[in-house]
Amino acid sequence: MKTLAIMTHEAWLATLMAGFMSSGENKQRLFDFSDILFRHFTWIEKELIYSGEKYDYDRDSIPIKVDKLSMLLSNIIQRLGQIDLQLIGSSKDLNDRISSDIKYMTSVLIHLPDENVTAFSMKRKFEDIELNEEARDALTLFLFEESYKEYELIMIYNYLKAHSQDAYINRIFQILVDESFFHLKSFGDMMAKMGILGVPRVIHKEIYQVEDIKDFLLAGIDEEIAAKEECRKLSEAVASNSPELAKFFDFINNQENYHIALMRDALQHYVSINESETQDNG
Amino acid sequence: MNVDAQLIEHMMEPKNYGSMAESHSEGIGKNPQNGEKVVVYIKVKDDTIYDIRFQAIGCSTTVVAGSMLTEEAKGLSFDEISTLIDNTMKILEGVPPEDAVCTEMVVLAIQASVDTYKKRRDDNDYPAITYQVENSCIPQEERV
Repeated sequence: MKTLAIMTHEAWLATLMAGFMSSGENKQRLFDFSDILFRHFTWIEKELIYSGEKYDYDRDSIPIKVDKLSMLLSNIIQRLGQIDLQLIGSSKDLNDRISSDIKYMTSVLIHLPDENVTAFSMKRKFEDIELNEEARDALTLFLFEESYKEYELIMIYNYLKAHSQDAYINRIFQILVDESFFHLKSFGDMMAKMGILGVPRVIHKEIYQVEDIKDFLLAGIDEEIAAKEECRKLSEAVASNSPELAKFFDFINNQENYHIALMRDALQHYVSINESETQDNG
Repeated sequence: MNVDAQLIEHMMEPKNYGSMAESHSEGIGKNPQNGEKVVVYIKVKDDTIYDIRFQAIGCSTTVVAGSMLTEEAKGLSFDEISTLIDNTMKILEGVPPEDAVCTEMVVLAIQASVDTYKKRRDDNDYPAITYQVENSCIPQEERV
């Protein structure tokens, strides 16, 4: 089961990266399939938790540098085939649900039209926007740092959600996962257009296997405040070259306010639950 | 940070990133100020590192430094590793502390992995050694 989780994690990311690389009609379909694979991953994770099998989010590196999209699609089809084989022996319900999705996705992926891939050209130009060197460097560093951060947040909140039975707090974690997906997709798309696409690196266990949720939320709020500052700086750096791009980063900056409010809500809820538990025990 | 093609390649596809099953030794470089750290895993034969990997809890700069330095360290003898570490630390002397700290963390983790390996010659269960950085992530003028 643990191997199945790793394989699904890798297939999810490979498909998401293919979505970033595509600039045509394949894009939305690849994003939809990557979302499905992420949901498979969460189901497998739940099974792992129920069965008490130890697991983590370690995985192999995922080679994605291709000239033609069809090369990565073939690789994804191969990965899906291996997952289908690995499903044999897992619970029937899980097997049926995932296997049916895999067969359909494979049948679609085989027929997707090919595309030339420019996501690794390193041209570092976003659409038709002319940025000066300083703004271009700032944007490049921001995208690498923040795309990893968004992937990290997806995995942290996903892990916490999987290990929590609290509906109130899980609703908040799910919103934060969804928000981070939106940010990751936005940044990944920009990276592909600039020719600097890369798979976010593997996350160290200590980051998501959180020992103290209160401390984690407090640190998370500080990190969101720091992220807002990074967005503000970037918006300023690109404003003179591109008001549209500056507007986008102001929008991301303002979204962080919502994330901070959600995390404060989660913190308050968590503290009140713990206090009432302490009183009950006392 | 000066963003050139080489640096972007390391950011797009960091070399030697990830944990290592059955490593012979591990070492940790840590920044106690913010909890960031680098773990280096090595495999050794005849006092030469023939395989090396790293993981980082830190920023992109740390990952780039880890990618570059582990590439350099691969295939080096322990004596050559000492030279690599000395030379890198000398270079860092001329770099602002807040920029030097990420690379220092990687250097210390490599040093710690070698030192752990030497300790394990006498004690197989010797825990991974941790070294803490001296540079600070916080720019001088911002320190209270």
